[in-house]
Amino acid sequence: MRTLSLVSRRLAFVGALLLLWEALTGGLGLPAILDPIIVARPSAALQEIARYSASGLLVKDVTVTLQEATIGLLLGIGGGVVFGLLLGYLRPLAETVEPVLVAFNSLPRIALAPVLIIAFGLGIASKIFLSLFTVFFVIFFNTYLGIRSVDPELVKALRVMGGDRWDLARYVVLPSVFAWIFAALRTSVSFALSGAVVGEFVGSTSGLGYRMVISAGLLDTNRTYAILLLLMAIAVVLVEIAKRVEDRLLRWRPTAILAS
Amino acid sequence: MRISIQGVGIQFRKGVKVLDDVSLEVATGDFVALLGPSGCGKSTLLNAVAGLLDPAECAMLGRIALDGGARNGTRLGYVFQRDTLLPWRTLSENIHVGMEIHAVPVAHREQRTRELIALVGLDGFEHYYPHQVSGGMRQRVQLVRTLAYEPEAILMDEPFGALDAQNRMLLQAELLRIWERRRTTILFVTHDLAEAITLAQRVVVLSKRPGRVKRIYDIPLPSPRDPFEMRASPAFAELETRIWKDLRDEFRAVPA
Repeated sequence: MRTLSLVSRRLAFVGALLLLWEALTGGLGLPAILDPIIVARPSAALQEIARYSASGLLVKDVTVTLQEATIGLLLGIGGGVVFGLLLGYLRPLAETVEPVLVAFNSLPRIALAPVLIIAFGLGIASKIFLSLFTVFFVIFFNTYLGIRSVDPELVKALRVMGGDRWDLARYVVLPSVFAWIFAALRTSVSFALSGAVVGEFVGSTSGLGYRMVISAGLLDTNRTYAILLLLMAIAVVLVEIAKRVEDRLLRWRPTAILAS
Repeated sequence: MRISIQGVGIQFRKGVKVLDDVSLEVATGDFVALLGPSGCGKSTLLNAVAGLLDPAECAMLGRIALDGGARNGTRLGYVFQRDTLLPWRTLSENIHVGMEIHAVPVAHREQRTRELIALVGLDGFEHYYPHQVSGGMRQRVQLVRTLAYEPEAILMDEPFGALDAQNRMLLQAELLRIWERRRTTILFVTHDLAEAITLAQRVVVLSKRPGRVKRIYDIPLPSPRDPFEMRASPAFAELETRIWKDLRDEFRAVPA
Protein backbone atom coordinates (compact mmCIF):
# COMPACT_ATOMS: atom_id res chain seq x y z
CA MET A 1 0.00 0.00 0.00
CA ARG A 2 2.71 2.45 1.07
CA THR A 3 4.59 2.18 -2.17
CA LEU A 4 1.63 3.30 -4.28
CA SER A 5 0.90 6.99 -4.53
CA LEU A 6 -2.35 8.30 -3.12
CA VAL A 7 -3.64 9.14 -6.60
CA SER A 8 -3.08 5.65 -7.94
CA ARG A 9 -4.70 4.09 -4.88
CA ARG A 10 -7.72 6.31 -5.35
CA LEU A 11 -7.95 5.55 -9.06
CA ALA A 12 -7.68 1.85 -8.31
CA PHE A 13 -10.54 2.14 -5.83
CA VAL A 14 -12.78 3.96 -8.32
CA GLY A 15 -11.89 1.41 -10.96
CA ALA A 16 -12.76 -1.45 -8.63
CA LEU A 17 -16.12 0.16 -7.82
CA LEU A 18 -16.91 0.53 -11.52
CA LEU A 19 -15.93 -3.09 -12.19
CA LEU A 20 -18.08 -4.32 -9.32
CA TRP A 21 -20.99 -2.23 -10.59
CA GLU A 22 -20.44 -3.50 -14.12
CA ALA A 23 -20.40 -7.10 -12.85
CA LEU A 24 -23.54 -6.69 -10.74
CA THR A 25 -25.48 -5.31 -13.70
CA GLY A 26 -24.63 -8.24 -15.94
CA GLY A 27 -21.44 -6.99 -17.52
CA LEU A 28 -18.19 -8.95 -17.95
CA GLY A 29 -20.21 -11.96 -19.07
CA LEU A 30 -21.66 -12.52 -15.62
CA PRO A 31 -25.36 -13.08 -14.82
CA ALA A 32 -27.08 -9.82 -13.87
CA ILE A 33 -27.93 -9.46 -10.20
CA LEU A 34 -29.35 -5.97 -10.72
CA ASP A 35 -31.76 -5.52 -13.61
CA PRO A 36 -30.09 -3.18 -16.20
CA ILE A 37 -33.52 -1.65 -16.83
CA ILE A 38 -33.51 -0.37 -13.25
CA VAL A 39 -29.77 0.15 -12.68
CA ALA A 40 -27.81 1.09 -15.77
CA ARG A 41 -24.60 -0.71 -16.58
CA PRO A 42 -21.69 1.78 -16.32
CA SER A 43 -20.30 0.86 -19.75
CA ALA A 44 -23.71 1.53 -21.26
CA ALA A 45 -24.00 4.84 -19.38
CA LEU A 46 -20.58 5.92 -20.67
CA GLN A 47 -21.56 4.99 -24.23
CA GLU A 48 -24.72 6.99 -23.69
CA ILE A 49 -22.64 10.03 -22.72
CA ALA A 50 -20.89 9.76 -26.09
CA ARG A 51 -24.21 9.52 -27.92
CA TYR A 52 -25.64 12.40 -25.89
CA SER A 53 -22.60 14.46 -26.74
CA ALA A 54 -22.78 13.61 -30.44
CA SER A 55 -26.40 14.79 -30.57
CA GLY A 56 -25.25 18.28 -29.56
CA LEU A 57 -27.62 18.36 -26.62
CA LEU A 58 -24.94 17.68 -24.02
CA VAL A 59 -23.05 20.93 -24.59
CA LYS A 60 -26.31 22.85 -24.63
CA ASP A 61 -27.60 21.28 -21.41
CA VAL A 62 -24.31 21.61 -19.54
CA THR A 63 -24.05 25.24 -20.63
CA VAL A 64 -27.54 26.04 -19.39
CA THR A 65 -27.07 24.32 -16.03
CA LEU A 66 -23.65 25.84 -15.42
CA GLN A 67 -24.93 29.24 -16.38
CA GLU A 68 -27.77 29.00 -13.89
CA ALA A 69 -25.53 27.69 -11.14
CA THR A 70 -22.76 30.24 -11.71
CA ILE A 71 -25.01 33.27 -11.90
CA GLY A 72 -26.96 32.01 -8.89
CA LEU A 73 -23.73 31.43 -6.98
CA LEU A 74 -22.30 34.86 -7.69
CA LEU A 75 -25.53 36.70 -6.93
CA GLY A 76 -26.07 34.58 -3.84
CA ILE A 77 -22.59 35.34 -2.55
CA GLY A 78 -22.92 39.03 -3.36
CA GLY A 79 -26.34 39.35 -1.77
CA GLY A 80 -25.35 37.27 1.24
CA VAL A 81 -22.27 39.37 1.92
CA VAL A 82 -24.09 42.68 1.53
CA PHE A 83 -27.02 41.69 3.76
CA GLY A 84 -24.73 39.96 6.23
CA LEU A 85 -22.57 43.07 6.60
CA LEU A 86 -25.61 45.30 6.80
CA LEU A 87 -27.30 43.29 9.54
CA GLY A 88 -24.00 42.62 11.25
CA TYR A 89 -23.46 46.34 11.64
CA LEU A 90 -27.06 47.38 12.26
CA ARG A 91 -27.90 45.48 15.38
CA PRO A 92 -31.47 46.76 15.95
CA LEU A 93 -32.38 45.88 12.36
CA ALA A 94 -30.84 42.43 12.78
CA GLU A 95 -32.79 41.80 15.97
CA THR A 96 -36.00 42.81 14.25
CA VAL A 97 -35.69 40.64 11.18
CA GLU A 98 -33.93 37.69 12.77
CA PRO A 99 -36.98 35.44 13.34
CA VAL A 100 -38.04 35.77 9.72
CA LEU A 101 -34.56 34.96 8.50
CA VAL A 102 -34.35 31.98 10.79
CA ALA A 103 -37.71 30.76 9.47
CA PHE A 104 -36.48 31.08 5.87
CA ASN A 105 -33.29 29.35 6.78
CA SER A 106 -35.14 26.42 8.35
CA LEU A 107 -37.29 26.04 5.25
CA PRO A 108 -35.91 23.39 2.91
CA ARG A 109 -34.94 25.96 0.31
CA ILE A 110 -35.49 23.55 -2.55
CA ALA A 111 -39.18 23.80 -1.63
CA LEU A 112 -39.18 27.26 -3.14
CA ALA A 113 -38.80 25.74 -6.61
CA PRO A 114 -42.52 25.52 -7.55
CA VAL A 115 -43.13 29.06 -6.26
CA LEU A 116 -40.23 30.44 -8.25
CA ILE A 117 -41.33 28.66 -11.39
CA ILE A 118 -44.78 30.18 -11.06
CA ALA A 119 -43.16 33.58 -10.63
CA PHE A 120 -40.37 33.42 -13.19
CA GLY A 121 -41.46 30.81 -15.69
CA LEU A 122 -39.73 27.80 -17.17
CA GLY A 123 -36.64 29.68 -18.39
CA ILE A 124 -33.32 30.06 -16.66
CA ALA A 125 -34.43 32.94 -14.40
CA SER A 126 -36.34 30.68 -12.01
CA LYS A 127 -33.30 28.36 -11.66
CA ILE A 128 -30.96 31.28 -11.08
CA PHE A 129 -33.26 32.43 -8.30
CA LEU A 130 -33.44 29.00 -6.71
CA SER A 131 -29.69 28.68 -6.88
CA LEU A 132 -29.31 32.19 -5.51
CA PHE A 133 -31.59 31.48 -2.55
CA THR A 134 -29.86 28.27 -1.58
CA VAL A 135 -26.49 30.03 -1.62
CA PHE A 136 -27.66 33.32 -0.18
CA PHE A 137 -28.57 31.97 3.24
CA VAL A 138 -25.36 30.05 3.69
CA ILE A 139 -23.26 33.09 2.85
CA PHE A 140 -25.53 35.48 4.68
CA PHE A 141 -25.37 33.55 7.95
CA ASN A 142 -21.64 33.07 7.65
CA THR A 143 -21.07 36.77 7.07
CA TYR A 144 -23.38 37.70 9.90
CA LEU A 145 -21.79 35.25 12.32
CA GLY A 146 -18.39 36.31 11.04
CA ILE A 147 -19.07 39.86 12.19
CA ARG A 148 -20.48 38.67 15.48
CA SER A 149 -17.48 36.50 16.20
CA VAL A 150 -14.83 39.12 15.51
CA ASP A 151 -12.31 38.76 18.31
CA PRO A 152 -12.89 41.73 20.67
CA GLU A 153 -9.24 41.61 21.70
CA LEU A 154 -8.17 42.28 18.12
CA VAL A 155 -10.58 45.21 18.01
CA LYS A 156 -9.08 46.58 21.21
CA ALA A 157 -5.56 46.14 19.89
CA LEU A 158 -6.40 48.09 16.75
CA ARG A 159 -8.20 50.83 18.63
CA VAL A 160 -5.31 51.44 20.96
CA MET A 161 -2.99 51.73 17.95
CA GLY A 162 -5.17 54.63 16.90
CA GLY A 163 -7.42 52.83 14.44
CA ASP A 164 -10.77 54.44 13.61
CA ARG A 165 -13.96 52.66 12.51
CA TRP A 166 -12.70 52.34 8.98
CA ASP A 167 -9.37 50.87 10.11
CA LEU A 168 -11.24 48.37 12.26
CA ALA A 169 -13.35 47.28 9.29
CA ARG A 170 -10.34 47.04 7.03
CA TYR A 171 -7.89 45.30 9.35
CA VAL A 172 -10.12 43.18 11.56
CA VAL A 173 -13.80 42.87 10.59
CA LEU A 174 -13.55 42.24 6.85
CA PRO A 175 -10.66 39.76 6.96
CA SER A 176 -12.39 37.80 9.67
CA VAL A 177 -15.69 37.86 7.78
CA PHE A 178 -13.96 36.76 4.58
CA ALA A 179 -12.50 33.83 6.43
CA TRP A 180 -16.04 32.70 7.28
CA ILE A 181 -17.26 33.28 3.73
CA PHE A 182 -14.42 31.37 2.11
CA ALA A 183 -14.98 28.55 4.54
CA ALA A 184 -18.52 28.30 3.15
CA LEU A 185 -17.42 28.43 -0.48
CA ARG A 186 -17.34 24.68 -1.08
CA THR A 187 -20.79 24.16 0.39
CA SER A 188 -22.09 27.09 -1.65
CA VAL A 189 -20.80 25.68 -4.89
CA SER A 190 -22.57 22.37 -4.46
CA PHE A 191 -25.70 24.18 -3.20
CA ALA A 192 -25.71 26.36 -6.32
CA LEU A 193 -25.50 23.32 -8.53
CA SER A 194 -28.28 21.47 -6.72
CA GLY A 195 -30.45 24.60 -6.84
CA ALA A 196 -30.08 24.73 -10.60
CA VAL A 197 -30.70 21.01 -11.13
CA VAL A 198 -33.70 20.78 -8.82
CA GLY A 199 -35.19 23.85 -10.48
CA GLU A 200 -34.85 22.06 -13.80
CA PHE A 201 -36.50 18.95 -12.35
CA VAL A 202 -39.53 20.93 -11.34
CA GLY A 203 -40.13 22.73 -14.58
CA SER A 204 -37.92 23.76 -17.48
CA THR A 205 -37.15 23.27 -21.15
CA SER A 206 -33.44 22.52 -21.06
CA GLY A 207 -30.50 21.75 -18.78
CA LEU A 208 -29.09 18.57 -17.25
CA GLY A 209 -31.86 18.30 -14.67
CA TYR A 210 -34.52 18.67 -17.35
CA ARG A 211 -32.90 16.02 -19.58
CA MET A 212 -32.61 13.69 -16.61
CA VAL A 213 -36.25 13.92 -15.60
CA ILE A 214 -37.35 13.36 -19.21
CA SER A 215 -35.09 10.31 -19.53
CA ALA A 216 -36.32 8.85 -16.26
CA GLY A 217 -39.91 9.38 -17.39
CA LEU A 218 -39.17 7.43 -20.56
CA LEU A 219 -37.46 4.72 -18.50
CA ASP A 220 -34.27 5.52 -20.41
CA THR A 221 -32.09 4.24 -17.58
CA ASN A 222 -28.83 4.57 -19.50
CA ARG A 223 -29.29 8.24 -20.20
CA THR A 224 -30.49 8.96 -16.66
CA TYR A 225 -27.34 7.38 -15.27
CA ALA A 226 -25.22 9.07 -17.89
CA ILE A 227 -26.45 12.46 -16.69
CA LEU A 228 -25.98 11.46 -13.07
CA LEU A 229 -22.33 10.62 -13.78
CA LEU A 230 -21.90 13.91 -15.63
CA LEU A 231 -23.35 15.86 -12.72
CA MET A 232 -21.04 14.06 -10.36
CA ALA A 233 -18.02 14.90 -12.51
CA ILE A 234 -19.04 18.55 -12.79
CA ALA A 235 -19.59 18.81 -9.04
CA VAL A 236 -16.23 17.21 -8.28
CA VAL A 237 -14.42 19.67 -10.53
CA LEU A 238 -16.26 22.72 -9.17
CA VAL A 239 -15.80 21.73 -5.55
CA GLU A 240 -12.13 21.05 -6.18
CA ILE A 241 -11.74 24.53 -7.66
CA ALA A 242 -13.54 26.02 -4.68
CA LYS A 243 -11.30 24.04 -2.34
CA ARG A 244 -8.15 25.33 -4.02
CA VAL A 245 -9.40 28.92 -3.87
CA GLU A 246 -10.26 28.43 -0.21
CA ASP A 247 -6.91 26.85 0.70
CA ARG A 248 -5.07 29.59 -1.09
CA LEU A 249 -7.01 32.43 0.53
CA LEU A 250 -7.05 30.89 3.97
CA ARG A 251 -3.46 29.73 4.00
CA TRP A 252 -2.87 31.78 7.14
CA ARG A 253 -5.06 29.38 9.07
CA PRO A 254 -3.76 26.54 11.17
CA THR A 255 -4.13 23.34 9.13
CA ALA A 256 -6.19 21.74 11.86
CA ILE A 257 -9.02 24.08 10.92
CA LEU A 258 -8.51 23.66 7.20
CA ALA A 259 -8.82 19.92 7.48
CA SER A 260 -12.31 20.07 8.93
CA MET B 1 4.83 60.98 27.80
CA ARG B 2 3.69 61.83 31.29
CA ILE B 3 0.77 59.85 32.63
CA SER B 4 -1.16 61.41 35.44
CA ILE B 5 -3.76 59.37 37.27
CA GLN B 6 -5.73 61.46 39.73
CA GLY B 7 -8.15 60.00 42.24
CA VAL B 8 -9.40 57.32 39.91
CA GLY B 9 -12.17 55.02 41.09
CA ILE B 10 -13.85 52.50 38.84
CA GLN B 11 -17.03 50.61 39.46
CA PHE B 12 -18.64 48.10 37.16
CA ARG B 13 -22.32 48.60 36.50
CA LYS B 14 -22.98 45.24 38.06
CA GLY B 15 -21.88 46.77 41.34
CA VAL B 16 -18.32 45.54 41.76
CA LYS B 17 -15.94 48.30 42.74
CA VAL B 18 -12.52 47.50 41.33
CA LEU B 19 -10.46 50.60 42.01
CA ASP B 20 -10.73 53.22 44.70
CA ASP B 21 -9.07 56.62 44.70
CA VAL B 22 -5.91 55.67 42.84
CA SER B 23 -3.44 58.44 42.19
CA LEU B 24 -0.18 57.91 40.37
CA GLU B 25 2.22 60.06 38.42
CA VAL B 26 4.32 58.39 35.74
CA ALA B 27 7.02 60.73 34.47
CA THR B 28 8.27 60.78 30.89
CA GLY B 29 10.75 57.97 30.37
CA ASP B 30 9.77 56.24 33.59
CA PHE B 31 9.31 52.48 33.80
CA VAL B 32 6.62 51.75 36.38
CA ALA B 33 5.33 48.33 37.37
CA LEU B 34 1.83 47.91 38.78
CA LEU B 35 1.86 44.95 41.12
CA GLY B 36 -1.05 43.40 42.93
CA PRO B 37 -3.08 40.28 43.53
CA SER B 38 -5.33 39.12 40.73
CA GLY B 39 -8.65 40.93 40.63
CA CYS B 40 -7.23 44.09 42.21
CA GLY B 41 -8.06 46.13 39.13
CA LYS B 42 -4.58 46.67 37.73
CA SER B 43 -5.59 45.65 34.21
CA THR B 44 -8.71 47.79 34.50
CA LEU B 45 -6.52 50.76 35.38
CA LEU B 46 -4.39 50.09 32.33
CA ASN B 47 -7.48 49.92 30.14
CA ALA B 48 -8.67 53.20 31.62
CA VAL B 49 -5.37 54.85 30.69
CA ALA B 50 -5.67 53.40 27.18
CA GLY B 51 -9.25 54.65 26.87
CA LEU B 52 -10.52 51.14 26.36
CA LEU B 53 -13.14 51.08 29.10
CA ASP B 54 -16.68 50.71 27.88
CA PRO B 55 -18.78 53.41 29.56
CA ALA B 56 -21.79 51.12 29.21
CA GLU B 57 -20.08 48.64 31.51
CA CYS B 58 -18.36 50.76 34.11
CA ALA B 59 -18.30 54.19 35.65
CA MET B 60 -15.08 56.07 36.31
CA LEU B 61 -14.41 58.77 38.87
CA GLY B 62 -11.35 61.00 38.84
CA ARG B 63 -9.19 61.99 35.92
CA ILE B 64 -6.49 60.56 33.73
CA ALA B 65 -4.32 63.03 31.86
CA LEU B 66 -1.74 62.23 29.23
CA ASP B 67 0.88 64.97 29.03
CA GLY B 68 -1.48 67.11 31.04
CA GLY B 69 -4.31 66.92 28.55
CA ALA B 70 -6.90 64.69 27.00
CA ARG B 71 -6.18 61.59 24.97
CA ASN B 72 -6.81 63.12 21.54
CA GLY B 73 -4.26 62.02 19.03
CA THR B 74 -1.70 60.75 21.51
CA ARG B 75 0.14 57.65 20.44
CA LEU B 76 -0.15 54.82 22.89
CA GLY B 77 1.15 51.31 22.61
CA TYR B 78 -0.49 48.37 24.34
CA VAL B 79 0.97 44.91 24.68
CA PHE B 80 -1.60 42.32 25.68
CA GLN B 81 -1.08 39.13 27.61
CA ARG B 82 -2.99 37.22 25.00
CA ASP B 83 -1.64 37.18 21.50
CA THR B 84 -3.53 39.80 19.50
CA LEU B 85 -1.64 39.55 16.25
CA LEU B 86 -3.85 39.50 13.17
CA PRO B 87 -3.83 35.82 12.18
CA TRP B 88 -4.29 36.61 8.48
CA ARG B 89 -1.17 38.74 8.30
CA THR B 90 2.40 37.53 8.30
CA LEU B 91 4.70 38.64 11.11
CA SER B 92 6.12 41.53 9.11
CA GLU B 93 2.66 42.57 7.90
CA ASN B 94 1.56 42.60 11.53
CA ILE B 95 4.40 44.94 12.37
CA HIS B 96 3.19 47.17 9.53
CA VAL B 97 -0.35 47.63 10.86
CA GLY B 98 0.34 50.42 13.34
CA MET B 99 2.53 52.22 10.83
CA GLU B 100 -0.16 51.92 8.15
CA ILE B 101 -2.70 53.46 10.51
CA HIS B 102 -0.33 56.31 11.25
CA ALA B 103 0.43 56.69 7.53
CA VAL B 104 4.16 56.06 7.76
CA PRO B 105 5.55 56.05 4.19
CA VAL B 106 6.02 52.59 2.68
CA ALA B 107 9.81 52.76 2.32
CA HIS B 108 10.12 53.76 5.97
CA ARG B 109 7.79 50.98 7.02
CA GLU B 110 9.80 48.30 5.29
CA GLN B 111 13.06 49.52 6.72
CA ARG B 112 11.78 49.89 10.25
CA THR B 113 10.21 46.44 10.11
CA ARG B 114 13.53 44.94 9.07
CA GLU B 115 15.26 46.65 11.97
CA LEU B 116 12.66 45.53 14.47
CA ILE B 117 12.67 41.96 13.21
CA ALA B 118 16.42 41.94 13.68
CA LEU B 119 16.11 43.57 17.09
CA VAL B 120 14.20 40.58 18.45
CA GLY B 121 16.07 37.98 16.43
CA LEU B 122 13.26 36.93 14.13
CA ASP B 123 15.20 37.19 10.87
CA GLY B 124 13.95 34.59 8.43
CA PHE B 125 10.49 34.44 9.98
CA GLU B 126 9.12 37.64 8.41
CA HIS B 127 6.77 35.79 6.10
CA TYR B 128 5.46 33.25 8.58
CA TYR B 129 1.90 33.48 9.80
CA PRO B 130 1.38 33.79 13.56
CA HIS B 131 0.08 30.24 13.94
CA GLN B 132 3.30 28.90 12.46
CA VAL B 133 5.57 30.29 15.18
CA SER B 134 5.90 29.78 18.93
CA GLY B 135 4.18 31.79 21.65
CA GLY B 136 7.46 33.46 22.57
CA MET B 137 7.99 34.58 18.99
CA ARG B 138 4.45 35.91 18.74
CA GLN B 139 4.97 37.90 21.90
CA ARG B 140 8.18 39.37 20.50
CA VAL B 141 6.26 40.46 17.43
CA GLN B 142 3.57 42.02 19.59
CA LEU B 143 6.25 43.98 21.37
CA VAL B 144 7.94 45.30 18.24
CA ARG B 145 4.62 45.88 16.50
CA THR B 146 3.99 48.36 19.29
CA LEU B 147 7.45 49.91 19.01
CA ALA B 148 7.05 50.24 15.25
CA TYR B 149 4.76 53.26 15.28
CA GLU B 150 6.79 54.91 18.03
CA PRO B 151 4.19 55.42 20.73
CA GLU B 152 4.86 58.00 23.39
CA ALA B 153 3.99 55.51 26.11
CA ILE B 154 3.62 51.75 26.21
CA LEU B 155 1.12 49.97 28.41
CA MET B 156 1.82 46.33 29.07
CA ASP B 157 -0.67 43.93 30.60
CA GLU B 158 1.20 40.88 31.92
CA PRO B 159 2.77 40.53 28.48
CA PHE B 160 5.01 37.63 29.46
CA GLY B 161 2.52 35.86 31.71
CA ALA B 162 1.75 33.09 29.26
CA LEU B 163 5.38 32.25 28.54
CA ASP B 164 7.64 29.63 30.05
CA ALA B 165 10.27 30.82 32.54
CA GLN B 166 13.13 30.75 30.04
CA ASN B 167 11.33 32.74 27.37
CA ARG B 168 10.04 35.17 29.94
CA MET B 169 13.56 36.03 31.08
CA LEU B 170 14.74 36.39 27.50
CA LEU B 171 11.92 38.77 26.69
CA GLN B 172 12.47 40.72 29.90
CA ALA B 173 16.07 41.19 28.86
CA GLU B 174 14.98 42.35 25.41
CA LEU B 175 12.45 44.75 26.86
CA LEU B 176 15.07 46.23 29.20
CA ARG B 177 17.50 46.66 26.35
CA ILE B 178 14.86 48.42 24.27
CA TRP B 179 13.75 50.63 27.13
CA GLU B 180 17.29 51.61 28.03
CA ARG B 181 17.87 52.64 24.45
CA ARG B 182 14.61 54.50 23.82
CA ARG B 183 13.40 55.56 27.26
CA THR B 184 9.76 55.35 26.29
CA THR B 185 7.39 55.68 29.22
CA ILE B 186 6.24 52.21 30.26
CA LEU B 187 3.43 51.18 32.57
CA PHE B 188 3.74 47.46 33.17
CA VAL B 189 1.12 45.34 34.93
CA THR B 190 2.22 42.10 36.54
CA HIS B 191 1.48 39.87 39.49
CA ASP B 192 5.04 38.59 39.53
CA LEU B 193 7.13 40.42 42.11
CA ALA B 194 10.49 39.32 40.71
CA GLU B 195 9.45 40.53 37.27
CA ALA B 196 8.40 43.90 38.64
CA ILE B 197 11.72 44.41 40.44
CA THR B 198 13.73 43.19 37.46
CA LEU B 199 12.17 45.60 35.02
CA ALA B 200 10.87 48.70 36.71
CA GLN B 201 12.38 51.86 38.10
CA ARG B 202 9.41 52.07 40.44
CA VAL B 203 7.03 49.41 41.69
CA VAL B 204 3.51 50.38 42.71
CA VAL B 205 1.89 47.85 45.02
CA LEU B 206 -1.89 47.80 44.81
CA SER B 207 -4.10 46.42 47.56
CA LYS B 208 -6.65 43.70 47.00
CA ARG B 209 -10.00 44.72 45.50
CA PRO B 210 -11.02 47.50 45.46
CA GLY B 211 -7.47 48.36 44.49
CA ARG B 212 -5.75 51.32 46.12
CA VAL B 213 -2.14 52.34 45.96
CA LYS B 214 -0.66 50.64 48.99
CA ARG B 215 2.90 51.76 48.56
CA ILE B 216 5.36 52.88 45.91
CA TYR B 217 8.92 51.55 45.94
CA ASP B 218 11.92 52.98 44.12
CA ILE B 219 14.06 50.26 42.64
CA PRO B 220 17.58 51.63 42.84
CA LEU B 221 19.21 48.78 40.94
CA PRO B 222 21.91 49.90 38.48
CA SER B 223 21.38 50.06 34.72
CA PRO B 224 21.89 48.34 32.38
CA ARG B 225 20.25 45.42 34.09
CA ASP B 226 20.61 41.78 33.27
CA PRO B 227 17.62 39.75 34.45
CA PHE B 228 19.68 36.55 34.57
CA GLU B 229 22.41 37.89 36.85
CA MET B 230 20.31 40.29 38.82
CA ARG B 231 18.35 37.62 40.63
CA ALA B 232 21.50 36.42 42.33
CA SER B 233 22.39 39.88 43.68
CA PRO B 234 21.86 40.67 47.38
CA ALA B 235 20.23 44.02 46.56
CA PHE B 236 17.57 42.19 44.55
CA ALA B 237 16.91 39.71 47.34
CA GLU B 238 16.64 42.49 49.88
CA LEU B 239 14.08 44.39 47.78
CA GLU B 240 12.13 41.25 47.15
CA THR B 241 11.88 40.48 50.86
CA ARG B 242 10.87 44.03 51.70
CA ILE B 243 8.12 44.32 49.08
CA TRP B 244 6.91 40.79 49.65
CA LYS B 245 6.06 41.65 53.25
CA ASP B 246 3.60 44.24 51.98
CA LEU B 247 2.30 42.13 49.19
CA ARG B 248 1.82 39.00 51.26
CA ASP B 249 -1.00 40.53 53.27
CA GLU B 250 -2.84 41.40 50.07
CA PHE B 251 -2.39 37.99 48.51
CA ARG B 252 -3.44 36.25 51.70
CA ALA B 253 -6.66 38.15 52.00
CA VAL B 254 -7.85 37.01 48.58
CA PRO B 255 -9.90 33.84 48.70
CA ALA B 256 -8.44 31.35 46.23
